[in-house]
Amino acid sequence: MRRNRLTVTALYGSLTAASLVWMVPMVTALAISVLPIGQTRNGWWHGGLSQLTFANYRDAWSQGLASYVVPSFVITLGSVAVSLLLGALASYAFARLEFRFKRLTYFLLLTTMIVPVQIILIPLLPWLRLLGLAQGNAQYLGIILVHTAFGAGWAVFMMSAFFADVPEELLEAARLDGASHLGQLRYVVLPLALPGLVSFAIIDFVFVWNDLLLGLTLLDRDHQPLTVGLANLQSPHLAQENLVSAGSIMVVLPPLLLFIALNRFYVRGLFAGGVKG
Amino acid sequence: MTTSLNKPPLASGPGSFGDRRGGGRTPTAPGGTRRAGKRGGRTGYAFVTPLMAVFALFYLWPVVQSVLSSFFTWGLLRPWNLFDRSTWQFAGLANYRRTLSDPDFWHAGANSLLWLVLFPLLVVGISLVMAVAIWHARRWSVVFRTVFVLPMTISLAAAGVIWSFVYNPDAHIGVLNAVLKALHMQGTLDVGPLHLKTTGQWLADPGTLNLGFYDLRLVNVFVIIAAAWAFAGYGVITFSAGLASLPQELVDSARVDGCGPLQVVRHVIVPHLRQPMRIVFVVSVIFALRTFDIVYVMTSGGPGTDSTVLGLLPWQEAFAFLTSPQAGQAAAVAVLMSAVLILLGFPYLKSMLPRKESR
Repeated sequence: MRRNRLTVTALYGSLTAASLVWMVPMVTALAISVLPIGQTRNGWWHGGLSQLTFANYRDAWSQGLASYVVPSFVITLGSVAVSLLLGALASYAFARLEFRFKRLTYFLLLTTMIVPVQIILIPLLPWLRLLGLAQGNAQYLGIILVHTAFGAGWAVFMMSAFFADVPEELLEAARLDGASHLGQLRYVVLPLALPGLVSFAIIDFVFVWNDLLLGLTLLDRDHQPLTVGLANLQSPHLAQENLVSAGSIMVVLPPLLLFIALNRFYVRGLFAGGVKG
Repeated sequence: MTTSLNKPPLASGPGSFGDRRGGGRTPTAPGGTRRAGKRGGRTGYAFVTPLMAVFALFYLWPVVQSVLSSFFTWGLLRPWNLFDRSTWQFAGLANYRRTLSDPDFWHAGANSLLWLVLFPLLVVGISLVMAVAIWHARRWSVVFRTVFVLPMTISLAAAGVIWSFVYNPDAHIGVLNAVLKALHMQGTLDVGPLHLKTTGQWLADPGTLNLGFYDLRLVNVFVIIAAAWAFAGYGVITFSAGLASLPQELVDSARVDGCGPLQVVRHVIVPHLRQPMRIVFVVSVIFALRTFDIVYVMTSGGPGTDSTVLGLLPWQEAFAFLTSPQAGQAAAVAVLMSAVLILLGFPYLKSMLPRKESR
């Protein structure tokens, strides 16, 4: 009995210790972001609550990050919306209909999960220029479509899995009532697979929001997302830890809040990709 | 039609899908209206076409362009265009030859190889230990799991920035150096071929591992650690899902048979998690080879080319200096990289195509 209690204590002790170590990087960034830079340079861990300040956030915002926020939201929300719309349509066909080349198209879509973005990166800029999607606000449309194309594998993989779980009897009932395929999708499959759609939306949001490479490469300075803004802020030669840390928290916050609010869906969505197969 | 009766529906989503479908597709199922309702090839095309159009224009065609343009000499100021012969400066295999004889490529390749080995090991190792410990703990498990899963939502750019604080060479700012200083552990550590400098320059000059024919730059290790921190949550989630389906009786009966906790892990838990382990491993391998963000933010491949990886190379060659006509060579690097990934990832991809029996 005593040995048992010892094991349990050791288990919780080491888990707590590991968790604390795991949180060190986040705590570091958070602490530096809310302390005056003078305190940071004397060890942020000596800082006290009385020194708390939001000046770093104000400065990071006014010294450039503000202009990256709108592009980040436009690109992310746009990509999620287009992926949901086109992905749901296609996933219905993959899950519920038969057509020729179904296997081939599905396989092609899945390749986006393993092939690196770098394979489309180099000719993409001239190609978008040719399509007229490389200037002004048209850039948003360009990068949104690129994100949609590159996320198509995940979209179809996840959504068709969720759509497949909808009981056939319900669809048949809708069919007997004269519902078209579009009607079955709209009134039966989508409502029932809503949790799955939310899962996909969150994962896609996190994925697109966190992209650096495409935003850095395809967009001009006025349309780049926050991740690029943060990368530009980060320069070892400019000792501005306070601004960089505040910027990193700002970049991290939207996906993190989304995760905390909808944790259940996020984990569920990853299960769909992780456990099966 | 008849063939589709014999084969499991291939492109129809994974998992529980097969059994549901089987019911509707048995040969005894009424044909006529029912079948016409389910199939309907034209509707299928109509539903798939919008996504496939975007996919073709913004993925397939760029891929084709990448492959084709890798046989030409061109730069981004004067891009190669399939339909404009004046832009064709044919190079044959020169881009590939130059790439394969470029020391920078092999240097980046060696670093990527280190990523390929170390990153999946770290991710699988850490997340397996944590998932099993959390599973044992039961109470507070949600809190512990959240701690390990949260960094997953953090962009790798931000993760790189955040870890740069931890690694900051100034012992008044960087925690790692502060701890080492407090423990009086700053100096150099030479163990056999390992030459580790704990003087605080983690992202500049932390030493090397001498392999005889090649000096592995340890700076990569510190970038990999940061990436593993951000990625381990995926493993924790996947393993937790696997453990949730582990029957308690199996563990209990092993205990009754006299298995200690470690033996239970070895003989019951690890075999049960074989499939999730394979998935996490493969996804980590893919991730390791694609890496761009975190290296770009933490070291930009430096110092010198010490931490350049294959994922960084095409970008550097094509975009860092827009005037250089290196885009063809950059495309060649991307093609080589993708070929490796497709070879490594193909079995995984095949496993994602649905089968009748899942798991």
